[in-house]
Amino acid sequence: MPLGRCFSRRSWYIAWRQIGGDTRGVIHVEGVSFSYPGASGAAIRELSLDIERGSLFGLLGPNGSGKTTLISLITGLLRPDAGAIRIEGASPRRLALVPQDYAFYARMSVAENLDFFAGVCGLAGERRRERIAAVAAVAGLDAFMRTRAARLSGGLKRRLNLAIGLLNEPELLILDEPTVGIDPQSRHFILESIRRLNAAGTTVIYTSHYMEEVQSLCDVIGILDQGRLLACGRLERLLAGTGGTSLALGLAEPLDAAASASLENAYGLERAGSELRASQLGSGALVPLLASIERSGGRVARLRYGHADLEDLFLHLTGRELRD
Amino acid sequence: MRIVLRLVRKEVLLLLRDWHALLLLFLMPAAFILIMSLALQNQFSAAGGAKLSYALVGGTAPALQKLDGFRQVDGSATESELRTRLRAGKLQFLVIVPADYATSLARGKPQPVKLIAAPDVPAAAYKLFESGARAALMKSWLRQRLHARGIPVAALDDGSAQHLLAAAEPTPGAPTAEAMPSSVQQNVPAWLLFAMFFIAIPLSTTWLAERDQGTYLRLRSMGLTPPLLMAGKVIPYIGLNLLQVVLMLLVGVFVVPQLGGDALTLGHAPLALALVAAAASFAAVAYALLVANLVSTSEQATIFTGVANLLMAALGGIMVPRFVMPQALQAISHYSPMAWGLDGFLDVLLRDGGIGMIAAPALKLCGFGCACLAVAGLFMVWRRGR
Repeated sequence: MPLGRCFSRRSWYIAWRQIGGDTRGVIHVEGVSFSYPGASGAAIRELSLDIERGSLFGLLGPNGSGKTTLISLITGLLRPDAGAIRIEGASPRRLALVPQDYAFYARMSVAENLDFFAGVCGLAGERRRERIAAVAAVAGLDAFMRTRAARLSGGLKRRLNLAIGLLNEPELLILDEPTVGIDPQSRHFILESIRRLNAAGTTVIYTSHYMEEVQSLCDVIGILDQGRLLACGRLERLLAGTGGTSLALGLAEPLDAAASASLENAYGLERAGSELRASQLGSGALVPLLASIERSGGRVARLRYGHADLEDLFLHLTGRELRD
Repeated sequence: MRIVLRLVRKEVLLLLRDWHALLLLFLMPAAFILIMSLALQNQFSAAGGAKLSYALVGGTAPALQKLDGFRQVDGSATESELRTRLRAGKLQFLVIVPADYATSLARGKPQPVKLIAAPDVPAAAYKLFESGARAALMKSWLRQRLHARGIPVAALDDGSAQHLLAAAEPTPGAPTAEAMPSSVQQNVPAWLLFAMFFIAIPLSTTWLAERDQGTYLRLRSMGLTPPLLMAGKVIPYIGLNLLQVVLMLLVGVFVVPQLGGDALTLGHAPLALALVAAAASFAAVAYALLVANLVSTSEQATIFTGVANLLMAALGGIMVPRFVMPQALQAISHYSPMAWGLDGFLDVLLRDGGIGMIAAPALKLCGFGCACLAVAGLFMVWRRGR
């Protein structure tokens, strides 16, 4: 059954609530719709969603799917045309948005930026100094406090962007693509920081186009397209819902035609470029398949077996057509 | 209040590190004031009919030794040298007195005196000099004729004929709107206003940067309302405008005379001067916020501000004083906010007016500022919707 039909908006909403156990939701989005003035269609359409306290929620969607609009609605920057959003337990002062852009002042130093935003958050005196020192340590910025933000590397700018978001010790942290355009070391540092914050109890909403990153970081995923929530739930359940297990293997050298045809017939394999793939292969057939390849003189260079990954699921739900 | 102070402090810090903006806002008007005040000093004097120079050459004509409002220069030079100076614009009038003028006058038939004017002398100034010289010669001839007939001529010199024309000096109680400014009186407020309206470039640049780089979004998500954010911009830029006013007036008072120009006098109504400055600053900052919300990029802001300010300045009497414009253009110039600001400053600096006199231009500036803020607010709501 195609996922698009199987995971209707309402059924996935219910499924997640069941999987989630208790209803400790921190954010309740209830039937929210929103249209920009003069726009031909709605940016968000009757969207309902609960995000649990303490979860690390991955919000995915193609460009123009409504992610930023949904974030703006949650943070109160926009007001829904219909429906309601409730944030339970978290004070508005303890909500932080880390935008995708470098949302700080390039002509000010790291310390000046942190000091300014701490003051705007209402922090004063000793408390302000403590929080600045704490977020600088979390983001690894201690050695760059007197450096003008404009002169920081891309990775350090991302870390400063994150550090500012942590000044008010947020209970709810919304991160909009916080790892765009940085090297693997900085990305690893930021992801680890987010994991630690989440482990310490901060609820995190994380948007990114890096599927692998989201898959390794988030425990709950919501996939949005054209203003609708196509799927939402715990990651493993979403991936399991894609159907059976799949196989993709690459050979060091191609087999001869006869051996290749024999294997394709016996195990239901299909050629896809340099790979052989099977969409419904039981785990019991895996060892005999590898033995057959070896007997035919072939050598396996790489192999992937299991449920579809998040990217497969994402493309399956949102389609492969290019977006704006 | 503490948050507004934080916003103001941040804005000041950003401005202090923007050398381009500081040069634009302070060095440009100071340079314009110095250059234009000194360069146009003679032109303004000519328009006012004062301090134009003339020289006598040839015979003796005591009647022309002293002409009110004109300055006689050294007459030891030859006619040829004086003609060269006339062509070079260093001398405005040359009066050639025939060698036998004195004896011909004594005979009762004076030889005609010849007047030559420099080509760039305004027609009004020429008429003024010609009338003065003609009256002096007429008086001299009349005295000679009366003396020859044994009639006392003391009445010609004792001032008893002064009552024939009652002329009053302008006083604070009876200001004259038609009074013409000196070069420094015109150029200090003119270029000061020009620079005040250029505040639109740094303000819109920081505004756009905040909007485009997500800082505005972040501050809004931290609970800061748009009016609070606007206050955080308006207050430091109004302060910057007022600092421009103080520094440029000081340039007019102290620096221009050091370089040979006239010193600026500040009038007798400091409160009125402060009110005009505040009204002009409010108008300039509100206009800057409108520009910031109208445009999409800092390049657009720079081009828009440059073109719009030049037009306002050209029409408003900043570049060309309004009193030399034709009537039709003067009528149009009343629609330029820079003209209102200039009127307000000149009311205090030139016409010695008080609060009553500057009320009209100040109200016009405030009205313009309110209109700009209203349109900027509408654009802000419209952009937020997008």
